[in-house]
Amino acid sequence: MSLVDLLGVSKSYGGTRALDDVTLTFDRGVTGLLGPNGAGKTTLLRIVATSIAADRGSTRILGHDPTASHGEVVEARRGLGYLPQELGFPHDMTVFGFVEYVAVLKEWNQAAARSREVHRVLDLVGLGDLAAKRVRKLSGGQRRRVGLAQALVGNPQVLVLDEPTTGLDPAQRATLRRTLSTIASESAVLLSTHQTEDVAALCERVVVLAEGHVRFDGSVVDLVRTAEGRVWLSDEPAETGVAAWRTGTGRHRVVGGPRPPGAESVEPSLEDAYLLMLDGRVPAPDAVT
Amino acid sequence: MSTMSPTTTGAGPGLRAMAGIEARRFARHPLFLLGAAATIVVTGLLQANDHDHVPADLLAWTVVPAFFCGLTSLVVAARLTRSTETAGEALLTAPGSEARRTLAVVLACSVPLAVGVLWMAEVLVITAVWPPASMEWWFGTMSGVQVVAILVAGGPVACLGGALLGVLTGRWLRFPGAPAVVLLVVVVVVMVGHAPTETAHPELRLWLPWISWQSGSDTDGTATLYKGNAVLALLYQLCLCAMAALGALWHDRESRTRGLVVGFVGVVVAAVAFLGLSMTTGTQDNRVSPVNPAQADH
Repeated sequence: MSLVDLLGVSKSYGGTRALDDVTLTFDRGVTGLLGPNGAGKTTLLRIVATSIAADRGSTRILGHDPTASHGEVVEARRGLGYLPQELGFPHDMTVFGFVEYVAVLKEWNQAAARSREVHRVLDLVGLGDLAAKRVRKLSGGQRRRVGLAQALVGNPQVLVLDEPTTGLDPAQRATLRRTLSTIASESAVLLSTHQTEDVAALCERVVVLAEGHVRFDGSVVDLVRTAEGRVWLSDEPAETGVAAWRTGTGRHRVVGGPRPPGAESVEPSLEDAYLLMLDGRVPAPDAVT
Repeated sequence: MSTMSPTTTGAGPGLRAMAGIEARRFARHPLFLLGAAATIVVTGLLQANDHDHVPADLLAWTVVPAFFCGLTSLVVAARLTRSTETAGEALLTAPGSEARRTLAVVLACSVPLAVGVLWMAEVLVITAVWPPASMEWWFGTMSGVQVVAILVAGGPVACLGGALLGVLTGRWLRFPGAPAVVLLVVVVVVMVGHAPTETAHPELRLWLPWISWQSGSDTDGTATLYKGNAVLALLYQLCLCAMAALGALWHDRESRTRGLVVGFVGVVVAAVAFLGLSMTTGTQDNRVSPVNPAQADH
């Protein structure tokens, strides 16, 4: 049994179908969720985090069905860590105080052990020196790291991170990648991001969502491979590709469409493959886990 | 295998730990500190400003903790209750339930209760050092149990009740400024609700969440003790406190157990019974004290 099993999961908000018959399983390792705004990434993560329930289909988190009973929800949540897309903080709390509060909610009832755990996760995200500072006085990136710290309390078996790199500078993103790499050896890490370079650097597996459907589910390498032979560098701008932009070298990168005159084929990046996948002119390969 | 917390499994988030965190937040809140300080200082000033240092109208002093501590605690408790909701789903998806978080804030209301007790101690120390006038409504001129009940109800219970009303407000009212609106409503209701004190049915004020028992010295130097049974009125007010706490817990759908329903119904029944009895027993009429020359023409 996988750590997370989603079978035929659907979710609608009013007349909008956010997820449509999604079947996915997640095990140890880091999985990146890519997709445009409104693709269903946050809805999927919220279902896994037991924040909302699917309208249809089956959900099992760590072997528990969160829709079955309150007891099952609690058991599932004992092994979960969740960083939501939007996270507010009580106005008066310090960094340590907030993470400690979450630690209590996660049943760290012994003060000494709880304090050690809070310091551990704060050190893990590089906020050990700011434990006594009020959260409201932190920068956006630092607050995001506080959010990550509270999700890491107790080394959860399933870690759900909704856009964890928002507001982080490159050095902080590198630190996050190192942290998640360590955790992924024992846990299933699901993260959504708009940064394809984060997925490329961190994830073994990527799921591309669009309009509530899974467009791709496989390794990062396999996704990149779908774009081979479809990305060019040209001296002139081209109007016919899926996307085209002027690079720092002054040449134009063209993704998709016919080969521009005089253009040379180049190695595709994950971003190129992602753009082509969303465009739909390249049929999505069969979803293979 | 993930690291499990040391107190697994099924133990639930430690209520004591959560209550401790909330109590510290309550005690450090600037508004609460202001209210607590004002409670103690104003009571001291009431004594200090009396020209002959003989305390007067002691049973009317209960307005001080109710106003300064009870009302500020209403606002503080409401803010504390709502503040952790800003963390939204991060807290909702932890094993601890909303009801348990609510209960932690309810227990933290022991902080304003402690200020109320401190106020009572201050009053008793003042009267021990400077005994009141012989005709003052106090120990010796009325039942000691009634005196204690009035002080407890008007002081510590008023502070506690204000805070619990704040928890209830924080759970159920989501619009901006809700605590301030509730505060104003309480003040207006209590003021208007005391209109019957000078009528033929002063007991009709006893349904209020805070009750005045003494008029304060009139110009002729007398003071009126209002009708009613202070002990049973205190029990009624404690029931109101319990109703506020249970009503706040009710907000969490998963906590709506049969036990909670039975408890709530039981408290309501008890409140009605105590209210009825407080109106019909105890002092049966307003009682006017002998003239206190020191208070005449003030």
